[in-house]
Amino acid sequence: MSDFNKIDLKGFALNSTIEVFNTMLSMKLDVLQADPIVKLTGNRLVGCVGLAGNVMGNICIHVSKEFARIMAAAMLGMEIDEIEEDEINDVIGEVCNMISGDLKSRLCDAGFSCVLSIPSVTSGSDFKIESKGWVRHERIAFENRNEKSIVEVFIKSVI
Amino acid sequence: MTLKVLAVDDSKTIRKIVAKAFSTYDCIVKEAENGIEGLSMASSEKPDLIILDITMPVMNGSEMLAKLKGQPGLKDIPVIMLTAESGKENVMQIVKMGVKDYMVKPFKGEQLIERVMKIYSLAPKPSETKETSTSPYFSIKDNIQILTMPEKSDRATLMEIESNFHNVLKSMSDSGMNKFILDTRKLQEINMLVIKMLLSAVQACQKFKTHLRFVGSPGLGNELKGFQETSGFSINATVEDAMTTF
Repeated sequence: MSDFNKIDLKGFALNSTIEVFNTMLSMKLDVLQADPIVKLTGNRLVGCVGLAGNVMGNICIHVSKEFARIMAAAMLGMEIDEIEEDEINDVIGEVCNMISGDLKSRLCDAGFSCVLSIPSVTSGSDFKIESKGWVRHERIAFENRNEKSIVEVFIKSVI
Repeated sequence: MTLKVLAVDDSKTIRKIVAKAFSTYDCIVKEAENGIEGLSMASSEKPDLIILDITMPVMNGSEMLAKLKGQPGLKDIPVIMLTAESGKENVMQIVKMGVKDYMVKPFKGEQLIERVMKIYSLAPKPSETKETSTSPYFSIKDNIQILTMPEKSDRATLMEIESNFHNVLKSMSDSGMNKFILDTRKLQEINMLVIKMLLSAVQACQKFKTHLRFVGSPGLGNELKGFQETSGFSINATVEDAMTTF
């Protein structure tokens, strides 16, 4: 089993996210500098998947409502104005599920067996997502054609 | 024979991607959103193939598979599992379940079709075959197939081209042709649908062992550099330039 504190959590999350966007949405993501902190305001969506087992935590993806619609169109091969609300939520949930699935596989291969929850999606403009009791946290901001997205991972080991 | 496929996934998005992957072939795709619905549809529809997700609410894919294998009339239906987890432990578990194959998400529709073709040979939709010969976008010059993209890059147009693309490549392969030029100069914009189609074209050409060249603006070159599949391609200014590179 690997040392929990030495797991390349940032590398795992970064590669998983780039791979999912590239394969499923044909979108190339650029990684943004950590400083200044990238924040999303206004109408936005957050897809979350929980991890439970030898590692516990959450994986979240934050995107603006506008970008979520573009993502849904790209993933479904449709025009942006053809996309319906439920399709936007489903795509964000599925993208988060794929990123989390890859991350989970890497954690399991490193000796931290865990299972994933079914994804949940929160949308609105006046809310914040908090995860408590984590030991490791990574926050990576990405950009595609001026649209930003943020992937956050919060985990702790229970062994 | 029309192949009957059952796609079982709680995500409407994935079910749509699966249905789209089969849309150019002589297939009917039925959909179910969890294991219980999937089992019920497997009994009533008797599909030739099941594409089954693992993580689903109500009844997950592993449970559905176990029940499927316990029913004499259904146990021999080939199953391709979809999973978002590529870890060794997970893959070993899937293999032990007795599935025909598995596919790790993220995946492209073409990759799924490749897996299916190891089990069944898929015939193109009868109507698609007819369209191939009348498609205005495809032409042949000096034994080289040329696809001239139209000005419009809306979904319907691109889908029409993409659906003909595979049939054209197959005909080329049957007649010993292996050179293809994709001319994008008329396109008014290179949007995500176009990029997706171009990536799909690259993969299809690789599958049919066909040499592909792009014709377009330097801007297209910059777009293509961002993707692993196309990063090695250089862009030719004219079709004549592209023809000299074979």
